[in-house]
Amino acid sequence: MTDARLLLIILALPFLGSLGAAFLPTRGRNAAAALAGTVTLASMLPLMAFYPALADGGTVRLAIPWLPSLGLDLTLRLSGFSWLFSMLILGIGVLVVLYARYYMSSEDPIPRFFAFLLAFMASMLGMVLSGNLIQIAFFWEMTSLFSFLLIGYWHHNQSARDGARMALIVTAFGGVCLLVGFLLLGHIVDSYDLDAVLAQGDLIRGHDLYLPALILILIGAFTKSAQFPFHFWLPHAMAAPTPVSAYLHSATMVKAGVFVLILLWPVLAGTQSWYLIVTTTGLATLLVGAWAAIFQNDLKGLLAYSTISHLGLITLLLGLGSPLAAVAAIFHTINHATFKASLFMAAGIIDHETGTRDLRKLSGLARFMPITATLAMVAAAAMAGVPLLNGFLSKEMFLAEALAAHSGTVLDRILPVLATLASMFSVLYSVRFIHQTFLGPAPVDLPHQPQEAPHWMRFPIEILVLLCLLVGIIPALTIGPFLATAVRSVLGDQTPAYSLAIWHGFNLPLVMSAIALVGGTCLYFLFGARLNDFPQSPIIGHFKGRRTFETVLAALIDGARALHRRLGSRRLQVQLRLLVATAFIAAILPFLALGYAPGPRPGTLVDPGFAVLWLIGGASAVCAAWQAKYHRLAALVLIGVCGLVTCISFVWLSAPDLGLTQLLVEIVTLVLLLLGLRWLPQRRPRQRQDPTVPLSVYVRRGSDLLIALLGGLGMAAIAYAMMTRDAPAGISHYFMEQAYPGGGGTNVVNVILVDFRAFDTYGEITVLSIVALTVFSLLRRFRPAAESIEIPEQQRRQNAFDDDREGRTRGDTVRHYLLIPRVLMEWFFPVISTCALYLLVRGHDLPGGGFAAGVTASIAIIILYMASGTRSVEMRLTIRPVRWISAGLLLATLTGSAALLFGYPFLSSEFGYLKLPIIGAVPMASAFLFDIGVFAVVVGTTALMLIALAHQSIRSPRTPKSPGGGEEAG
Amino acid sequence: MSGWMQHLTVAPIVLPLAVSALLLAFDERRRALKRVLSLATVGALIGIALTLLWQVSGAAGSGQAAGPHVYLLGNWPAPFGIVLVADHLSVLMLLLASLLGFTALFYAMARWDRAGPRFHVLFLLLLAGLNGAFLTGDIFNLFVFFEVLLAASYGLVLHGAGMERTSASLHYITINIVTSLLFLIGVAMIYAATGTLNMADLAERIPLVQAGDLALLESGAAILGTAFLVKSGIWPLSFWLSRTYAAAVPPVAALFAVMTKVGIYIILRLSWLLFGDTSGGAAGFADNWLIGAGFATMLFGTIGILSARTLTRVAGHYVLVSSGTLLAAIGIGGQALTAALLFYLVSSTLAVGALYLIIEPVERNTDEDDMIAGIAEPVFDDEYTGALEEGEEDEIGIVIPGTIAVLGGGFIFCTLLLSGLPPLSGFIAKFALIDALFRHGAVTPTIWVLIALIICSGLATLIGLTRAGIDLLWTPAEDSPARLSVIEVAPIGLLLATCLTLMIGAGPIFSYMEATAGAIADRAAYVDAVRHAPRAGEVQP
Amino acid sequence: MEIVLAIAIGALTASGLWLLFRPRTFQVVLGLSLLSYAVNLFIIAAGRLRTDAPPIVGRDGPVDPGLYADPVPQALVLTAIVISFATTALLLVVLLASRGLTGTDHVDGTEEDL
Repeated sequence: MTDARLLLIILALPFLGSLGAAFLPTRGRNAAAALAGTVTLASMLPLMAFYPALADGGTVRLAIPWLPSLGLDLTLRLSGFSWLFSMLILGIGVLVVLYARYYMSSEDPIPRFFAFLLAFMASMLGMVLSGNLIQIAFFWEMTSLFSFLLIGYWHHNQSARDGARMALIVTAFGGVCLLVGFLLLGHIVDSYDLDAVLAQGDLIRGHDLYLPALILILIGAFTKSAQFPFHFWLPHAMAAPTPVSAYLHSATMVKAGVFVLILLWPVLAGTQSWYLIVTTTGLATLLVGAWAAIFQNDLKGLLAYSTISHLGLITLLLGLGSPLAAVAAIFHTINHATFKASLFMAAGIIDHETGTRDLRKLSGLARFMPITATLAMVAAAAMAGVPLLNGFLSKEMFLAEALAAHSGTVLDRILPVLATLASMFSVLYSVRFIHQTFLGPAPVDLPHQPQEAPHWMRFPIEILVLLCLLVGIIPALTIGPFLATAVRSVLGDQTPAYSLAIWHGFNLPLVMSAIALVGGTCLYFLFGARLNDFPQSPIIGHFKGRRTFETVLAALIDGARALHRRLGSRRLQVQLRLLVATAFIAAILPFLALGYAPGPRPGTLVDPGFAVLWLIGGASAVCAAWQAKYHRLAALVLIGVCGLVTCISFVWLSAPDLGLTQLLVEIVTLVLLLLGLRWLPQRRPRQRQDPTVPLSVYVRRGSDLLIALLGGLGMAAIAYAMMTRDAPAGISHYFMEQAYPGGGGTNVVNVILVDFRAFDTYGEITVLSIVALTVFSLLRRFRPAAESIEIPEQQRRQNAFDDDREGRTRGDTVRHYLLIPRVLMEWFFPVISTCALYLLVRGHDLPGGGFAAGVTASIAIIILYMASGTRSVEMRLTIRPVRWISAGLLLATLTGSAALLFGYPFLSSEFGYLKLPIIGAVPMASAFLFDIGVFAVVVGTTALMLIALAHQSIRSPRTPKSPGGGEEAG
Repeated sequence: MSGWMQHLTVAPIVLPLAVSALLLAFDERRRALKRVLSLATVGALIGIALTLLWQVSGAAGSGQAAGPHVYLLGNWPAPFGIVLVADHLSVLMLLLASLLGFTALFYAMARWDRAGPRFHVLFLLLLAGLNGAFLTGDIFNLFVFFEVLLAASYGLVLHGAGMERTSASLHYITINIVTSLLFLIGVAMIYAATGTLNMADLAERIPLVQAGDLALLESGAAILGTAFLVKSGIWPLSFWLSRTYAAAVPPVAALFAVMTKVGIYIILRLSWLLFGDTSGGAAGFADNWLIGAGFATMLFGTIGILSARTLTRVAGHYVLVSSGTLLAAIGIGGQALTAALLFYLVSSTLAVGALYLIIEPVERNTDEDDMIAGIAEPVFDDEYTGALEEGEEDEIGIVIPGTIAVLGGGFIFCTLLLSGLPPLSGFIAKFALIDALFRHGAVTPTIWVLIALIICSGLATLIGLTRAGIDLLWTPAEDSPARLSVIEVAPIGLLLATCLTLMIGAGPIFSYMEATAGAIADRAAYVDAVRHAPRAGEVQP
Repeated sequence: MEIVLAIAIGALTASGLWLLFRPRTFQVVLGLSLLSYAVNLFIIAAGRLRTDAPPIVGRDGPVDPGLYADPVPQALVLTAIVISFATTALLLVVLLASRGLTGTDHVDGTEEDL
């Protein structure tokens, strides 16, 4: 017995070879070819060694766990059938390699070619040797990929690019369907293992997911095996180098579909739906392919369509569902591979030697290349099904099966007729191939003077043709045993009795093939002359597969673009409306479902003062909304009022910290916005007399208003619902109980911020820092709009005033403007700074804290700037906000990390009290240090933003560039 | 766990923060130093994530049982203080983020970090924000870290300035501010209904909420959910996404590939933790909405991929597709499916990151900005005419320059990954998803629709990317291709190699995903771990 | 009190939303600050209302939580205020930059439809 692990070698060698070839030098033609050939032969040897183990119908398995929890293992399974297929793949592979060595030009970067070829071969082997459905699909897709690369090998040619892409998309589509189909099978059988699946035929055929699974798998197989109506990609794949065509379209790529069909034949075949779908598809393909092949003017085109028709024949056989038909299918698969490969190679030689493949130009080549001619004629004869050649045998079987009634449908009657017709066609195009290429007068004005090809280029053809003959004459001694093994491994105990004899007596099939041969030949000599004049094949020529494909694709994409424009929008307003509307709907749905009701909680009685306060607040909010477009300043002030009202209500609702913070933030925001106003465009109210406001505008505003009102209503309702419910026994009591004993502070809110939930604050100062940095780096590249670059109007007036008076120099007025307030404001600086420090230290026990303090300090700085102008301030003191930020963040981090030294988690705090002369007892919680960090960050960030923005105004108007001092000032 | 190891849980947040604070102290001109420091930090993050993963999964030698690690910040007991929880899911996300971050940062050193100031600081802070969002066990703290990562992302989108970036970020920022407001509203409502902010505590209290307050709770959760859905790029709230990502410089866009996953992560976590089967009245109240939204998003993303004219748009819409897939899968639920979707999450995130990185070098060779020409007019021939009509063909292959070969290989790998074709992890992910869907129970129409959408989106990706790839890489270029530095190739290679690892090591990795799914489903374990986390200084068992 | 505050929140939200939907960047910024007021008040409301409660806990003896306003929402609002301040500032600068680059203060950076 042979060790099953050898299977890995069979599979691995080509992959490794492909890797190796990929790294060969560009011109290493012989090296690459040698490598490829050796690798292929090398992996053939163990394969042969396995045969004895299979001869008695056994299989060799090797399972390597891969994804066990999903039942996906790397399972290699070698049965008689897969052995035969592997031999086909490797054997023809070797010949193709040899052929390619001579076919491809010496300038060609051939190592890449062989790398792809070997990888493709390996994928085919992987598929054939798979013992697991998913694994089959896996390698199936890989063959699609590598065939794409092979077909597109000459990708500088448009036709190669298109053909490759079409092949990829069509076969990949099929591959996905196949995968889903396999998943369904696996779901039915509850295992992806091939043997398990093959054992469950009845279960599968009986299951109600059988039909979807069947259809999906068939789509996969049909796309790959170029069955009608998916056949159109195959002819365009002829743009590939001829060796590739010879390989893909004889033994491998297109046979993958057939392989899967044969493999699953025992479990899927035999039902009515199988019979109808597969038989009709096969029949259609057989006829369409044969008919189209007749009218091709390109050698490879003719062969391509004949391939399609032969694949149709095999599919048809499989569809019939009788064991004998299956045998015929397997047999014909092999025969077709041999003669079709040799024909492609011959076509390649002709192309190579004459420089054209156009049947209309070619003629009488027999006298220039007698050997090639002979070989091609024999192969073509095999294709036509001439006796004493392998094609004849399987054709006979086919006709016999076509005669035998199977289903009791109308198909049974027409099948024999159509089968004969198709065979007649194939005779016709074979004859045309032979006659127009090799016989007749010497050709005129060919690109090159034709001559015989080098021997080693013919050699592969010689081998294949020899096989055709041997199999055709002494089948029982050549293919017989191997075929038997393969058949038994597929059909198991339903293996029928069949004979490969050439002579079955004078029976109906014989008559039919006689009719086909004679009829086909006659037809050619009647109409052959006129065939050259057909630009496209009649009738089915109107079915333009590629055109349909392209049109569908184009339509798909145009449709997608149109739809995308409808379903999406680049406008901010639309997106915001959608966002708010969605949130609103999401919020009310639960209330619609469960009902809305205010809670039982007794409300605190309304304080008229509060009501009045909010009368003002609400009014100013509405006015702001109404006026913001044309009176920005007014709107800004109104917003400020709202802010103020909010602060007051915070205090009112016993949240002094919030009041304080909100107030300070209010101030800073206001300053920021004021600084920003200067850069916005002038906008005057539109004159009333222009009535040209389109209706759509009103509609949009109406909807906006509606959404706004609904949103407001919703918020109000929910807020009311919350406030009127009793508070659940939550976590808050803990903070009040622990604030002093645990956190060392009596201002609970501040303790929460710097201790209980200090991590929030930590993140919060990070946000501040990030924003400040972003603002700064954004403003460094700030380019004001053209019209807002000039000096503001007021300053211009003042300068004009200076210019008029004598004794005043330009800018005096600006300098002396509001002198007294300025001085006062400068005096404020120390005062406010002290306040800031005070707020900072008392924060832990009384309203205040690092943030409030920081904002206050930065306000002090702003006032200083406003008072004495940017330049003079920066002459006196240099603030380095970025350093402040960095220091603050580091301090906060270090304070937090200090706890780690004592084995406590990040941000654990310690506290005690420190007696200071004037201020008195200062809480010295480590949280306090943290608060200082916060303070530093806030000062830094606020200052950075304000200064950076303020600097925009003092840049020399005409040449906008980075604010004075750049990094330093910022 | 004790000693320094216990602080490993907080390190992913504090380390990048501290380093970036340090970097701020240095002058912009010390670029080399900043590069080394930041790269080392992100490298350390990967290490930390791996260690945590090793511990959390209770691997042999980690000296502890599998289970979440709870870190009581400030040593306050849960649910009062803020807790960090490192469990299977959060650690997985940590690892994903730091891997992507490392590659993106490495790539940025080709030249992108010079496009504007403070790149490294912002980059590290974004990672800190991401890690915080993944680790925190407190919904308000989650808000804070969302803000951190958003603020950093604003800065990074604006990195390099320019008109498109500015106006794109104007939209991005506005929408996200509104989203943050929604977030706050939601948190407030949930607090009003339950009186707590700690996730584990919520999980305990939500079943106890009386019928009267249920509407309030669910409404709050719905608003919160809307906020998360915006983050994860749901249709119709995600039109900003592909534009913003396209505007950002490549490494930033690559890192953003993980940003949408934050929303996904939190939806996944909360929908199991708070609204799982045992959550009383509020159980699974949003699942069908998730499914519907997921389908809509997948559809929109697929359409977007088909109609995209530039590769960045393809990538942007692919992000949507993956979000949609994940959301729909979360909505359908089930442990097997959760494991599959986690695998898909990791694979697709890495893949789209790699795509964002490779787009720029690929497009570098052509100067047109409309990269994918509209599909060629239908060609009006059917039967093969190859050599006969398509003019004289050059039957000698052209030598592909090294750079194009590398780019082509990388691009093909990305295409395979994104469209779920073998041999990379994309195929496994797709297979696992569909397999789990079939095993989920009766094969309902919903499941068929999801499968169909998965397949269609995969094919659309294939069509879109092959079209682009053929136009960009196969159409012979007259001028020699632009130079390609190894600093750009290495990170892409690293990402693709990771995907290859996902594929080869699918067995163990997938079993980790299954363990994660189990941990997500096991609310009790999570809640207990948080409630009974020992405080330092107390007697520990 | 509750009803007043509820109406107040509603008014702020409505006007904020209206401004948010306007096409001019500056209006959007103003709208956002109105909205953030509304949300801050909303969070306070989530802790139920309490007028004239002492902000400071006593240093000695156990504390009766009943006497004080819920501090948690206050802490949340403090954080929220800071963050919304920061983002507003950023948005302001971005809109200035976009205005500078595109020459218009329309939110889409262009006056005509997209």
